[in-house]
Amino acid sequence: MTEDLQYVGQTYPVHDAWQKVTGELVYGSDIELHGMLYAKLLLSPIPHGMVTNIDSRAAKALPGVVKVFSHLNTPADVYCRARLTPEQELCPRDETLFSEHVRFVGDRVAAVVATSQAIAEAAVALIDVEYRELPALLTTEEAQRPDALPIHQGGNVFFEYDEECGRRTEAQDAVVVSSTTNTPRIHHAALEPHVCVVQPHSTGGLTIWSTSQGVYGARTVVADLLGLDYHRVRVIKAPMGGSFGGKTEYILEPVTAYMAQKTRRPVKLLLDREECMIATMVRPATASTIRTTCSPQGQLEDMEIATVLDAGAFASSTSDYAVHMCNKITKLYRLPHYHHRCEAVYTNTPVAGAARGWGAPEIVSALEIHMDRVALELGLDPVELRRLNLMHPFEVDPVTGMSIGDGRVRECLERGAAAFDWSARRGRDPGRGRHRRGVGMACGAHKNGMFGKFAEASNMTLKMNEDGTFELGASLHDPGCGIVTVMKIIVAEVLGVSPDLVAAGEADTSSTPFDYGTFGSRVTYVVGACAKAVAEKLKEEIITAAADLLHEPRERLTVEGGEVHVQDDGQRGVAFKDIARLSHMRHSPGITAATTYYATSNPASYSVQFAEVEVDCATGLTAVTDFLAVGDVGQAINRGMVHAQFQGAVQMGIGYALYEHMDVDEAGRCGVDGFKNYHMVNAPDMPDIQVLLVEHSGDDGPFGAKSVGEIATVPTAAAVINAVNHALGTSLSDLPATPEKILAALDPGEAEA
Amino acid sequence: MRLSLNVNGMQHELDVRPTARLIDVLRLQLGLTGVKEGCSEGECGACTVIVDGKAVNSCLVLAAQVRGRKVLTVEGLAGDDGLDTLQRMFIEHGAVQCGFCTPGMLMSAKALLMADPHPTEAAIRLALAGNLCRCTGYTTIVAAVRAASAQAAESSSPPVGEESVV
Repeated sequence: MTEDLQYVGQTYPVHDAWQKVTGELVYGSDIELHGMLYAKLLLSPIPHGMVTNIDSRAAKALPGVVKVFSHLNTPADVYCRARLTPEQELCPRDETLFSEHVRFVGDRVAAVVATSQAIAEAAVALIDVEYRELPALLTTEEAQRPDALPIHQGGNVFFEYDEECGRRTEAQDAVVVSSTTNTPRIHHAALEPHVCVVQPHSTGGLTIWSTSQGVYGARTVVADLLGLDYHRVRVIKAPMGGSFGGKTEYILEPVTAYMAQKTRRPVKLLLDREECMIATMVRPATASTIRTTCSPQGQLEDMEIATVLDAGAFASSTSDYAVHMCNKITKLYRLPHYHHRCEAVYTNTPVAGAARGWGAPEIVSALEIHMDRVALELGLDPVELRRLNLMHPFEVDPVTGMSIGDGRVRECLERGAAAFDWSARRGRDPGRGRHRRGVGMACGAHKNGMFGKFAEASNMTLKMNEDGTFELGASLHDPGCGIVTVMKIIVAEVLGVSPDLVAAGEADTSSTPFDYGTFGSRVTYVVGACAKAVAEKLKEEIITAAADLLHEPRERLTVEGGEVHVQDDGQRGVAFKDIARLSHMRHSPGITAATTYYATSNPASYSVQFAEVEVDCATGLTAVTDFLAVGDVGQAINRGMVHAQFQGAVQMGIGYALYEHMDVDEAGRCGVDGFKNYHMVNAPDMPDIQVLLVEHSGDDGPFGAKSVGEIATVPTAAAVINAVNHALGTSLSDLPATPEKILAALDPGEAEA
Repeated sequence: MRLSLNVNGMQHELDVRPTARLIDVLRLQLGLTGVKEGCSEGECGACTVIVDGKAVNSCLVLAAQVRGRKVLTVEGLAGDDGLDTLQRMFIEHGAVQCGFCTPGMLMSAKALLMADPHPTEAAIRLALAGNLCRCTGYTTIVAAVRAASAQAAESSSPPVGEESVV
């Protein structure tokens, strides 16, 4: 840390914690409007086919039913739910409001809009749909066969990405290790179900309450589809009960807006849990085969990787996801040669798309499980193998051509290994009994925003009120992790006032300036830097106004404790509230600032994590008994919440490693229809997570801060799997490592040990 | 059907459908939207309320089943003196993130502390086993409940010496 920080680095509650503990906060799913109608979707029960007939007469006859929608009475225009801005690349338009050609169990076939939720649900059950079934392609292998039916025009492998850098060298004594890792399709499991509320206006415009992570993107997608000028569509970010990437994209906004426009009544579309699981979005299932060449001493020489990503029935953001799976490994390890091919493939399974980590948990799971295999082959300690190959600060990621910045993955490794007592614990024999303990570790890398790809920037306004308090105008999208509070802390630090004196809210296209939204690990690093820049600009305005009031040159003035002082004159100064009031009367209608901040760097964030597990060889059940997460976050803004990000991210990662999956059966069904058959880690099964932060503040984020929410979950699953493999002497790499898989991996007879 | 029940200390005479779930009556008829619905099958615990001292999933109970009973929802936790200790500790310990599980967590924790003011950590975790949270990893939530338990112990013991007299 290079400066004394007053507020940054302390711990604060999320900005709306008071409204949350009292039940006062109105979430998206709590919104009720006068004259509101309720929509219920009819989802395809078959994985692939054509709708040949829809008989909705009985539904329409039900009292309270206002309208039934399907492909028969809605446009067939295609759109991309993941598009952030109209000219964005890699956004295949392959989705319609309602499908005639249904492509997965859960595809939208029809919807009923009625005066109550109960009537809408009853009416949907009365709709009779006939289908002509088509062969279902439920795996990427099936979908990639030369004779496979194309799920969309253009074929099932809709995106191929090839990344290569460096030069291959062929050493005589090189050691070659290959392995394949499968990562599962999972549900994001935000506790609040997906919802959208749209109110149409007599002017032809719409107000949309969106629980997505980008109101401006939502506006362009909806307005373009409905043929509306953008200024007629107002999108408000409603408070949301979690996202984890699952609400990044515009899944419900287009269809809800269309139904509201046509019924000319406010419409609420609130999904139930099963619909959330099968019909919104999932983390894509992936399979990566890694072939590594290294020296006998453990120096990596070459990595050749082939990844297949199961995109499900629509492309959404998975093309970009595939690109990003190919730029994580070179942020972690020095590699003389790296070649990564990634294919995104349509299948007749749930739509895959944005998920916390954007490809990093998937590829890092494969990489780090593989690295343990390499270590085993070479007879090296896993930490030692990483030590030999991890990137050093300010080296260049050869894929992006950008510096990793002040990236401290090596320090994370060393401090973590010491704190976890790695060497001693790794040296212990897991034993041959029924309960076996093992330890594992893994490293992960992620990014800080979209610089290098977009004109990565943010816009904000900041004003001083007449009483010396402040209001930030920013398009913030808080999924619940405390983004608004982070901005308040940053502004407060610059202005030298308590964060309580800074008001900030969430995005509203009618009143907050343009920002892309919450994704790409850009919020703290880019949006937070914008908050700092606008506060610095306002501070200058305050000093200018004070100079006028005090009849002193600006150079003699300093800001401290909510006042502007004259240097070397302890007696003279003027309080913020007096500056605000008096300047209104003298020279200015108000003290305000507006700024656009452009990012000019995109360093890496890192985490190295250590897990201890105990496996019960009789039942195959695994318990995580101890866990340490080390994070290179640059500088914690809200320290307690940074720790909490790691704690929650590790919980998600343990689920990814051991429990959570949505495998599809022969009928194309996921076999999950709620939390009863989708196991998430609950309180008794969760160990306390130790968190260690590495803070060097050497990059361009506000006060040196970097991203945390995504990187925190990147290496978790690999650390857990590596610990299981250590405990059992196995080489499991098919996630999740369920009891069935663990028992199958044990030698015959061991399971009864 | 007519239904008489006491919610957050207030007596209500309601006309409800015989098949109405308690959560629907609380959210739709009484406007108590602090009662959250996350799964509709008693797995997530977001809808937890306290009925006669016991934590129940209000999505699994018919309104008719609580006829004449006392229901406490998150809206009834704070009193005239301000927030309940549990609410304050949830805020102080960073146990609130997205907050959608928070009302249910609070009510499960409240029911626990009503029955056992000084639970062990294992007892706290067990009492929260039916409340899922995707944000926190539970660490801060468990810490908040422990702190609330400790505070209750402090405030219920008589002041000893000068330092404890504020």
